[in-house]
Amino acid sequence: MDDLKHTPPPSLQVTGVKHWQARLELGFARRDARSYLAHRLHKGPLVVQKSLHPEGDDVCHAVVVHPPGGVAGGDALQLHVTLQAGARALLTTPGAGKWYKANGTRATQTLQFQLEAGSGLEWLPQETILFDAAEVGFSAEIQLAADATYAAWDIVCLGRQAQQEIWQRGVYQWHQRIHRNDQLIWNERAHMQADDLLKTSLVGLGDAAVFGTFLVCAGAVPAEVLQACRAITVAGAKVGVTALPDVLCIRYVGHASQQAKQYFEQCWQQLRPWYYQKPAIRPRIWNT
Amino acid sequence: MANALALSRLLQLASPMLPVGAYTYSQGLEWAIESGEVHDLDSAKQWIGDVLIGYQARFELPVLQRLYLAWQQKDMAAVLEWDAFYRAGRDTAEGWAETRQMGYSLVRLLQDLNDLPTPLLTEIKQLSQPAFPTVYAAVAQHWQIPLADALQAYAWGWLENQASAAMKTVPLGQVAGQKILLALGERLPDMVAQAMALPEDHISNFNPLLSIAGCCHETQYSRLFRS
Repeated sequence: MDDLKHTPPPSLQVTGVKHWQARLELGFARRDARSYLAHRLHKGPLVVQKSLHPEGDDVCHAVVVHPPGGVAGGDALQLHVTLQAGARALLTTPGAGKWYKANGTRATQTLQFQLEAGSGLEWLPQETILFDAAEVGFSAEIQLAADATYAAWDIVCLGRQAQQEIWQRGVYQWHQRIHRNDQLIWNERAHMQADDLLKTSLVGLGDAAVFGTFLVCAGAVPAEVLQACRAITVAGAKVGVTALPDVLCIRYVGHASQQAKQYFEQCWQQLRPWYYQKPAIRPRIWNT
Repeated sequence: MANALALSRLLQLASPMLPVGAYTYSQGLEWAIESGEVHDLDSAKQWIGDVLIGYQARFELPVLQRLYLAWQQKDMAAVLEWDAFYRAGRDTAEGWAETRQMGYSLVRLLQDLNDLPTPLLTEIKQLSQPAFPTVYAAVAQHWQIPLADALQAYAWGWLENQASAAMKTVPLGQVAGQKILLALGERLPDMVAQAMALPEDHISNFNPLLSIAGCCHETQYSRLFRS
């Protein structure tokens, strides 16, 4: 419903307007029992206002905010996060990421995460909405030390559902590479035009407008945890869970971002006690 | 194909008799049948055709092409890079295990055949858990099978195996199986050409419902296939 209120500001719809180039660097460190935000540098409109400790010292939470509210063609967002040894951080966003009509230039988002020994990062953003004619290039490069823990989800919604908008033109590109100890352990790549066969294909999206992936890299998944995730059912959507040697992958293909989020959150409730030995406590920003 | 010996080698490599266990894998098709998505000749053809276009042409073949060229140029760094690229791109436990097992079996066969020159065989044996296409590419280029033919043979082998899985499981008769091969086999030359022209940036393994079918297959109660 949120996206009903947001149409691109007129100035951003005009070709030739200045593009936002935003870069945010965050560095988390650990001192004794406390993880904290030790480094923060931003250039352009991508910021973290403050860090929080809603569940105690161990995990530092932060909300990554993009003040313009939406991303127009030609904009480039970069988020660079480093976790020093032992630090743990949870990052989320205050609302859906909105990607506007491209006006001929692609908008990009680049994630670079580096996790040092014994550190952990949870990257749990709210959904990404591609407006009709959005052209986006998303990439994520993640480097994990031998025993670092990484949990991340990504939910994409093609078209503004509240307005029954269909994503009829545009490009969606997504490259994600995860390395552990410099070995590539996950390589996911999508290149989909709005008129691509993948959208209707039986093995692509089967006409679904929403798809999502939840990955956890924390070593071998205990059988009971895997089973608990598999036991979660979702009406009217297709979901699947698989445990590769170093990557747990959970997928959703369906019709509602809200449902995808709920599903991933339910999985997260099962997974966090395994990879962090602590319960999943939903960030309060998700309630607003 | 100009080289008649290379044609023999190509047929050998593409034959279901190649002892790498390809026939034990359905790559999610068995789940598609279990769930009712695939239930007759038309739906089987649709599913297999969709995988051919959405996955084989955009991921397997372009990667196989790069592996072939890397072997041909004796560029081991590129071989390792594309091998890792392929393996990390297998996004289900069964899909990952499948390529590892088939790669292993092909290496074993090459050792037993004792046909490859020692330096090449040594390089192949030094790979740690190579993917099937990595080893396939090494042999194909050594046997002087032209690149486009090697890609088409690879896709053909995959297609034949899928048709056979559909015949066993839907089940479908011999003629239906041949109809699948006839219809989809016709698309292979164009598909290979497209795969060979695909910019590196567009290589894609994004087939969420195929991945989900692979996931669901892992817990399928009654099954003939290992993926």
